Amino acid sequence: MTPSAPSPLSATPRPRTGPRRVVRATITTLALGLALTGCSSAVAEKGTADVGSEPQEGGTLRLGITTDLLPTSVFSNASDGTNTLIGLVYDTLIDYGPESLEPQPSLATSWEQSEDGRSLTLQLRDDVTFHSGREFTSKDVEFSIKNTFADPAWAVQLQRTAAAITEFDTSKPNEITLTSEQPLSNIFDLLDMVPIVDEESFAGLKDGSEYVGTGAFTFEDWQPGASMSFARNEDYWDGAPNLDGVEVSVITDANAEVSQLRAGQLDAIVGGSFRDLRSLEKSGDFDVQPYEGAENQYYVGSNVEHPVLKDVKVRQAIAFAVDRQRIADDVLQGIGYPTVLPWPEYSPAYDEGVNATYDRDVAEAEKLVSGVGKIDPIPLQYQASNPNSEAIAQIVQANLEEIGVPTELRPTEHAEFIAQLIGAEFEGLWITNHSYAQYNPSTLVVSAYPFNAEKNASRFSDADYTKNANASWTLADPTSGDAGEVYDALNKDLLDNVFLTELAITYQVVTTSTAVQDVAWSKRSELDLTDAYLAE
Amino acid sequence: MTRYLLRRLPSAAVVLVLASMAIFGMIRLVPGDPAATLAGPDATPESLAQIRADLGLDQPVWSQYVDWVQSVMTLDLGRSYRVGGEVSDLLGDAAVNTLALTGFALLLAIVMALTLSLVTVIVNKPWLDAFVAGLNTLAVAVPTFVTGFVLVLLLAVLVRVLPAGGTPPDGFLARPDISVQYLLLPGICLALPAAAALARFLTDALETQLEQPYVMTARALGISRRRIVWTQALRNALPAAVAVLGLQVGTLLGGAVLVEAVFAWPGLGQLVERAISSRDYPLVQVLLLLSVVVFIVTQLLSDVVHAWLDPRIRLGGVA
Repeated sequence: MTPSAPSPLSATPRPRTGPRRVVRATITTLALGLALTGCSSAVAEKGTADVGSEPQEGGTLRLGITTDLLPTSVFSNASDGTNTLIGLVYDTLIDYGPESLEPQPSLATSWEQSEDGRSLTLQLRDDVTFHSGREFTSKDVEFSIKNTFADPAWAVQLQRTAAAITEFDTSKPNEITLTSEQPLSNIFDLLDMVPIVDEESFAGLKDGSEYVGTGAFTFEDWQPGASMSFARNEDYWDGAPNLDGVEVSVITDANAEVSQLRAGQLDAIVGGSFRDLRSLEKSGDFDVQPYEGAENQYYVGSNVEHPVLKDVKVRQAIAFAVDRQRIADDVLQGIGYPTVLPWPEYSPAYDEGVNATYDRDVAEAEKLVSGVGKIDPIPLQYQASNPNSEAIAQIVQANLEEIGVPTELRPTEHAEFIAQLIGAEFEGLWITNHSYAQYNPSTLVVSAYPFNAEKNASRFSDADYTKNANASWTLADPTSGDAGEVYDALNKDLLDNVFLTELAITYQVVTTSTAVQDVAWSKRSELDLTDAYLAE
Repeated sequence: MTRYLLRRLPSAAVVLVLASMAIFGMIRLVPGDPAATLAGPDATPESLAQIRADLGLDQPVWSQYVDWVQSVMTLDLGRSYRVGGEVSDLLGDAAVNTLALTGFALLLAIVMALTLSLVTVIVNKPWLDAFVAGLNTLAVAVPTFVTGFVLVLLLAVLVRVLPAGGTPPDGFLARPDISVQYLLLPGICLALPAAAALARFLTDALETQLEQPYVMTARALGISRRRIVWTQALRNALPAAVAVLGLQVGTLLGGAVLVEAVFAWPGLGQLVERAISSRDYPLVQVLLLLSVVVFIVTQLLSDVVHAWLDPRIRLGGVA
């Protein structure tokens, strides 16, 4: 049935909210919006207000990041937001140079280690204050080590080293002596990583509301999932930074982040696909700066209890078969290089000859697997959200297919992947990346989970490896001749057993417009903008 | 009208309770451990156990559900495991951004749909019908993220006239002229499919009206087609379009997930994505429950408006 006809037009009173009124209102609103659009430009405002005409003080750097601050993992090096916050707001006792393990002064001006390596005395600066105005003393060092890295609740790398420090002599405000039961070869790694935090505001740090350090910038505000802001610390002990402040935008989609950089809404970004970054670099308007000295490594992990992978010959065949050069060229776009050992070239454990052990040799790989018999497809997992891992997984799958080791790609969601990594629950192979080989070798084999001799995701356990890992950790002098022998033994353990097949070393990258100058970073990939400035 | 509304409320309440159970159960069936995500790759079994205990995840599931329902009923939404901060604060901040975006997109969709439909029906030319139908098909068929990238490329990267993404730095109210520019690209991107769907329904409804006897009578009296459309047919066609509009609000909120990602818009869509990927149970549960509430309320409002426009519905008659 159709509705009955309404009254004749002449007899119909005009409805109070008739269609005309609705149409008129919407058109008026749209017209108003368009008129407002013509008033001033959001792009122009953002693009011109912050960039200075020449190298000078002032200006706010607009930085894009893809992963937000994680208050519960603030010491875990777990996200761009966390790294940015720690790098801007906090100082450490020492700093390593970019591609070096030589400690440089920071809050500590000098140090002296006992001959047995069990005791380290540091002289501290006497002109440092927290952003709250409180003076920095040796007690802050003790508080920071005990309540950050030594506290298992934060679940950070080097927890074992921090917890091994048993005595803190803080009798002098500008001197501290750290004592341990055993020599700690990686104690300077710890001092390079531990941010000096403020005891009075530590509760705020835990709930993400307050971050008080001694660094070049003060924490102003955090809008979860959206932004962070920082202001210049006028009283910074090393001289106030050039920038007035830093505005950080959280842009979870890497393509959107790159678009905003191209559009001039941002001055710098951390992250983005390597292919996009190369394209930006070619335009001549942007500088792509890999965090050299803060390496991380892509690897293929093996569950050594898998029926096929428990045969070390198969694992060695995988190490011979993978095309590392293709991964470095095609996936990493040259922002990295192939490697067999985990160590970067400046590491005391790096050995060029040994690093050639598994140069690609398909014939050797085929020979190694020839006696294994029929191999059913082995699951090969990678993080679904990581385009680099996905591309590497496809290359590895093709490489292994070539030698008669079929695999089944299994993209795995981040949360599930981490749970399986921690629980050592990967069924067969997996691809991800690790870090910490840029520090003293013991930091990797004692603390980094994939390599941890005590417990690792590969379920690999070996008495010699455990012994050598502990020997590297308790070296009184990690650069001595004895150390070389320990590292040789460790390299032999890693390469003979190949429970992890290293693929390539790569870097976190910061991409800036050419106006941004003198950006630096720490060995933990934390952005350092102390000397950065905006030029024309 | 009140009685009509009261008749609809019990079924809405049942849907809400069932949805809360489904949400609570399903998020726990998804592989992945919030404690492991929280602890990171270097966690020890002891720290994992401690985190589980701190979060109450070591309690029986039914007990966790009862605790959650009690908390929600007292408006204590709890703290986010992973994202950080109070769930209510996170929700409030993100909701403002999403509502601004979807509200703007809805307005654009209505304007676009009204314009297209009215022009099509009033001009009444086959070539225009075909052209508008083609546009509608394109708007529905092209995914919003493709539209988004094209708009960004054209209007933010190649010709830098609008921001590529993000929200107004000083909020929506401080500088309306700036806010509109931030809203335009994501708003258009989000509005296009909704406008297409709305335009199709409105055009059909208008054409149905124009075939009614009262229109023939009016035409016989010499009243122009345009006047009939403006003064009579549009009002009579609106009930059907309003019902579709109610559905489109839900579609717009759903579509905001992708659009927010493309335009780095820190709204509910992005919050849902982060919460789910990190198994942030308190946040996921509240966000999904909220989406159910929004759908229920929207449908109720749509039905009420529909009933207001068409008395046969509120009186229980047949259409």
